[in-house]
Amino acid sequence: MNNFELLLNALASSRVSFVIIGGVAATVHGSARLTSDLDVVYERSRENLGRLVEALTPLEPYLRGAPAGLPFQFDVETLRRGLNFTLTTTAGPLDLLGELSGVGDYRAVYEVSDDVSLFGASHRCINLDALIISKRAAGRAKDFEAVAELELIREEGLGDSQGDKP
Amino acid sequence: MSTYQAQVQATKDPIVEAYKSGIDVTLIRENLRRTPEERLLALQQLQSFAQELRKGGREMRHRRR
Repeated sequence: MNNFELLLNALASSRVSFVIIGGVAATVHGSARLTSDLDVVYERSRENLGRLVEALTPLEPYLRGAPAGLPFQFDVETLRRGLNFTLTTTAGPLDLLGELSGVGDYRAVYEVSDDVSLFGASHRCINLDALIISKRAAGRAKDFEAVAELELIREEGLGDSQGDKP
Repeated sequence: MSTYQAQVQATKDPIVEAYKSGIDVTLIRENLRRTPEERLLALQQLQSFAQELRKGGREMRHRRR
């Protein structure tokens, strides 16, 4: 099971540059759908890759679905050689994406994100319009219903993302 | 209006539109009464519940064999 607080605070305390996207972003905007992993777009500078390694190494990241015992090293060189990583961690599944379909790289995603306060820290979360665009661009069968829900949130003016509480 | 807003509003996908009629908006409204942090905590509880259901289903199938 996910521990979103642990994952997000690990990234924040190492000052990783990232934006929350995917199903967790949908939840932030009010979606009632079940999602099982945390997806983030991360910045690809060597400094930020170092911060990612520092943040996640204590959570024992490993390639999700891969057989146990592979010589997988979660380090800067591994991150430099790849772009998207689907990982398991001791705090739950985590997807690291270098680019987001329909939007672009970290800088482009950052431009269409807003601050959201979660578990005592401020994080960047993709805005509702860009999230809809990215889900449409992904074009997977499971995304049709997700897009429908997000568009309803938008059409009904429900997506304030901050809740009724002060 | 931003480019993104225009793009979202300009295109209506018939499959997406068909899905909309089946969505329970009351669940969304209920969720939006919560803060974003409370929404994530509720999601974690739902994940835990789903995990228990899967475990129970596995055990039930195992007993039938």
